[in-house]
Amino acid sequence: MGWAAAGLRGLAAARPHPGDDVKRRNEHLIFIAPALVALALVVIFPTIFLYYVSLTNYSLTSGWEAKRFIGLENYFFLLFKDPLFWKSLWLTLLFVLTTVSTELVLGMLIALGLGRLKLSRRLILAIIIIPMVCTPSIIGLMWKLILNTEYGVANYLLGLAGLGKVNWLGVQSAFTSVVLVDLWQWTPFMVLMLHAALTSLPLEPFEAARMDGANAFQTFFGITLPMISRLVLIALILRLIDSIKVFDIIYSLTLGGPGTATELLSLRIYRIGFQHSNMVGRASAYAVIMILAISPFFTRLSGLLNRNAK
Amino acid sequence: MTLRNKLGKAVVGLLMGCYALLCFFPFFWMILTSLKERVDVINPAVWTFKPILDNYIDVFTKRNLPLNLLNSVIVVSTTVAASVLLGTMAAYGFARFEFKKKESLAFWILSLRMLPPMAVVISFFILGRMLRVLDKQLYLSVIYMSFNIPFAIWMMRGYIEDIPKELEESAWLDGCSRMRGLFSVVIPLVSPGLIATAIFCVIQSWNEFTLAFFLTSFRAKTVPTIVTEFLSVTGVLWGEMSAVGVVAILPILIFAFLIQKQLIRGMTFGAMKE
Repeated sequence: MGWAAAGLRGLAAARPHPGDDVKRRNEHLIFIAPALVALALVVIFPTIFLYYVSLTNYSLTSGWEAKRFIGLENYFFLLFKDPLFWKSLWLTLLFVLTTVSTELVLGMLIALGLGRLKLSRRLILAIIIIPMVCTPSIIGLMWKLILNTEYGVANYLLGLAGLGKVNWLGVQSAFTSVVLVDLWQWTPFMVLMLHAALTSLPLEPFEAARMDGANAFQTFFGITLPMISRLVLIALILRLIDSIKVFDIIYSLTLGGPGTATELLSLRIYRIGFQHSNMVGRASAYAVIMILAISPFFTRLSGLLNRNAK
Repeated sequence: MTLRNKLGKAVVGLLMGCYALLCFFPFFWMILTSLKERVDVINPAVWTFKPILDNYIDVFTKRNLPLNLLNSVIVVSTTVAASVLLGTMAAYGFARFEFKKKESLAFWILSLRMLPPMAVVISFFILGRMLRVLDKQLYLSVIYMSFNIPFAIWMMRGYIEDIPKELEESAWLDGCSRMRGLFSVVIPLVSPGLIATAIFCVIQSWNEFTLAFFLTSFRAKTVPTIVTEFLSVTGVLWGEMSAVGVVAILPILIFAFLIQKQLIRGMTFGAMKE
């Protein structure tokens, strides 16, 4: 209930400073209230409702009236009786760690490389936007065609280079393929972010470092990185949060398969609640776990984005 | 030394060029596939051919693409208009007034933007079923406000704070109310930011899959969910799929290039200003 409670505290705290006249002290509410009411209806209430559903045995097949309150049974089930929950949690962790760290390193290298280009830089910065804004569900299907073992262009190009065919979406390598597609889609985010951070840096410290005879590595780790650390952290957390939630591109690429090879948490929720067993109550418990997994990152992010701290 | 520098620069340039090609390739391959004949679609060795428009004609005449496009346009335009209006008003409240716990409330609103769609969609689905509003464009458009309003508030707050307060104060002296001041003084001044924010919301809403997938089935089905039709049949009709993809993605790409400068500001919720 953490988020809902924080919201209610926030609303309660939106009370005026004592001493102001009534009209003045409530004036901000005229502007904020409509959005807050809309958000209360479309986010806060449904989120509280989700916690409630997670305590019932509601399933699509038996209907809403037939559901019973079963306490924490769904949570006990996923913790102790569903090995696939732990597998999906593990896969999500692996996915998040590999994609986000690789995107950071690649993004940094590419951003540094772009800094050395002049004319072509703007063109490249424009092109690398494409992966981020392509409709993920559709481009996921496109990747499915590209990675097809028999008639995919990836294996065709590997063949031209004299390499053998790879069964990209088979049990062995499906997870790697999903990671690669995520790298394709989101490394540009890191590149854009880090490129913007690097170009905003003042020149003086770098000139001073050159005078002192520092080499490229010393300059990078001693000056560049500390100066952009706040932005790097923000980029990392934003990617972490998005990466935990990922659903659409994997849905169209592998549907979580083959078997459960790419069944990340969001796909597990989908399969439990809607595809295989229709046990929506149980799926809600998984969804609550997912929200709880994201919240600590958000707390960290809120500190970093704080305007007052700047 | 200069030769080494030049060589190094050429290598870097080459690598960057390759990276840009890699980013562009799936979209390029989609365009290529959409223009191929059915036999060539599953032949990756075919790169040059006489382009045909059969796939485009098919998706517009034999499939529901026109309906899906119309649904997407209705959902996106209504949700973006409502979200930007409510978001801008709230952003003004956050930018120009001081009140207790303002920052915590602002962060908390932003956090709603980050809720996993796969989690909240369960409630939306059950509630929609009870209220009998599943498969209606308006329901989807209201639901999309859940991520568009927090985003609009957060972005617009930054843009409004960049506008000096004095410009408004002179309007107040002329007897203008704060609400009038917002609409007649502030909004014209922040219109570039407002447009960027709106385009951002358009892109997010247009590409949204998870919520649309659960909350629509036929009548209100939007473009991203078309993939399910292609997943169910054995042997995907790749040519038609690619044509749908090009039609869906091209307008979004144009929008994205329009806000290229503000893109990073939007994606980092204002942490990185352009």
